[in-house]
Amino acid sequence: MLTKDVIISENSTKLLLLKKHQDYLSAYGVKKDNYEYCMTEYLRMSGIYWGMTAMDLMGSLDLLDKQQILDFVRECQHVCGGIGASKGHDPHLLYTLSAVQILTIYDALDVIDISGVVDYVKNLQQEDGSFYGDKWGEVDTRFSFCAIACLALLGRIDAINVDKAVEFILSCMNFDGGFGCKPGSETHAGQIYCCLGTLAITGNLHYVNADLLGWWLCERQLPSGGLNGRPEKLPDVCYSWWVLSSLKILGRLHWIDKEKLVKFILACQDEETGGFADRPADMVDPFHTLFGLAGLSLLGDQTLKEVNPVFCMPEYVIHRLGCDLQLLNV
Amino acid sequence: MSSWALFLPHGRLKVKTTAEQQAEKEKERQKKLQLFKAGTQKIFEKRKIKEYDDEGLSISGQILQANPDFYTCWNIRREILTQLKDERTEEEFQQLSQEELYLIENCLRKNPKSYGAWNQREWILMFMPTPDWERELQLCNRFLDLDERNFHCWDYRRFVCKHSNVGPDEELKFTLKKVEANFSNYSAWHYRSSLLPIVHPSCERNSVAEAILLKEYDLVQNAVFTDPSDQSAWFYHRWLLGRGNCFIFKLFDLDYFVVVCVMK
Ligand SMILES: [Zn+2]
Repeated sequence: MLTKDVIISENSTKLLLLKKHQDYLSAYGVKKDNYEYCMTEYLRMSGIYWGMTAMDLMGSLDLLDKQQILDFVRECQHVCGGIGASKGHDPHLLYTLSAVQILTIYDALDVIDISGVVDYVKNLQQEDGSFYGDKWGEVDTRFSFCAIACLALLGRIDAINVDKAVEFILSCMNFDGGFGCKPGSETHAGQIYCCLGTLAITGNLHYVNADLLGWWLCERQLPSGGLNGRPEKLPDVCYSWWVLSSLKILGRLHWIDKEKLVKFILACQDEETGGFADRPADMVDPFHTLFGLAGLSLLGDQTLKEVNPVFCMPEYVIHRLGCDLQLLNV
Repeated sequence: MSSWALFLPHGRLKVKTTAEQQAEKEKERQKKLQLFKAGTQKIFEKRKIKEYDDEGLSISGQILQANPDFYTCWNIRREILTQLKDERTEEEFQQLSQEELYLIENCLRKNPKSYGAWNQREWILMFMPTPDWERELQLCNRFLDLDERNFHCWDYRRFVCKHSNVGPDEELKFTLKKVEANFSNYSAWHYRSSLLPIVHPSCERNSVAEAILLKEYDLVQNAVFTDPSDQSAWFYHRWLLGRGNCFIFKLFDLDYFVVVCVMK
């Protein structure tokens, strides 16, 4: 069988183009009538979190307009306490977490009604321990992670039924040791990250078969060095985050070839415009730019700040909070 | 792909263009964008005054065909449909629901991985007067023919089976058809692993009857020999070895990592 993979050209970038990425991110969103920018309004809150976390990891957070961002977050909170992607967009757990991450990095949680956020999250928990993403009732382990990460950052994990939440996560475990969106769903690296993150925050990693899952995760590495998110899929920079952070949580980061992965991630930079794409020669976006940088940080790049594998936020921020996390060691 | 993460447009190749082509494309995009913005503004205004009507369905439908991950826009449609369910006869509402299914299918054809569109499909199926589950199963078959690994569609298929009379034994047969067509179909092996203990349970929890295990073992061995580099079969193989009660399987399990390394 032919392995699905990409070929990295000999003359691809081998240096981390920090300055280029700073320019790319600080210019992103300045032109408000840009097509891409407008079409992604439905995820703006996450977009800001990706951009500012990337900037912080590069040590250039001060290039962004803090006040403008804080005002934006405030405007996106609804009466129910939940936060939407943009002004006028409906509240959802995905964007509520992004907003809390933004405010935590800026150490400015008082900008929003925190007890409103706690109530919003709490009311989305179901009897089986799962979480709805919003009032319409979609269930997904991503939302369990959003809920628990959000409450952990606010120091209010006591507001929900943690045992039930963990029970639901475990009901999504599969034959390969991984996790899917809901019970019965196929294992996917992004969902593994969400489930391991939830278990790490609540101190329940002992339920995981770390060797089996570690094996599945390190099999994501392809000959090009890049990682895919599921068997027989193409490599993608964002999986250097979902897979790497999962391996880090399991204490098995050394199970992959770091040097080859670094080479792959660096090859996904756009030398002209700055930013990272999913694969070499594709279009860049802030999402892959964050996960490219965060991946490099986990791999030990000394020019970047250390990243926290569970929250995907700078480690110094998590340290400042005094947030307790369980990580495994081998 | 969209929605926080697993979730942005992927695989867009950067194409070198001349300044002229660039300007042309930008002009076109700005035109599209103006329409999109005007539609969005209109639909938000109508929502504010609770003007839930056919016009709202039409405008939001156009917006979603351009951008099926605009989740608030799907929510607005649900509000409109919820109100129209009370205002219209059952027959009329069944018709509206069918139009909704048609719109969703259009969105899915453009983006088969849109969380928003699949999600709306589950919602309307539960909300409409007379859902046609057989038709939905056919839709799953068609989408899985286009992409046998689309996990949204596999999830939707499980939803359809749960709400109709498709039993796990029938689904087990379906997964066999899928793995026989392509041994590398990891999604089908995964589904099989959850169905096998249900269809052929043994007395021990989460175990599989011994006779079935041996047949299954033949199947997966066949897959491994056909393509030793195929991970799908290896992961399933490893799982299968842990399902039996007899000594040989347990023994195998212990040495598994060694076995895998040698075979690879
Ligand atoms: Zn990606």
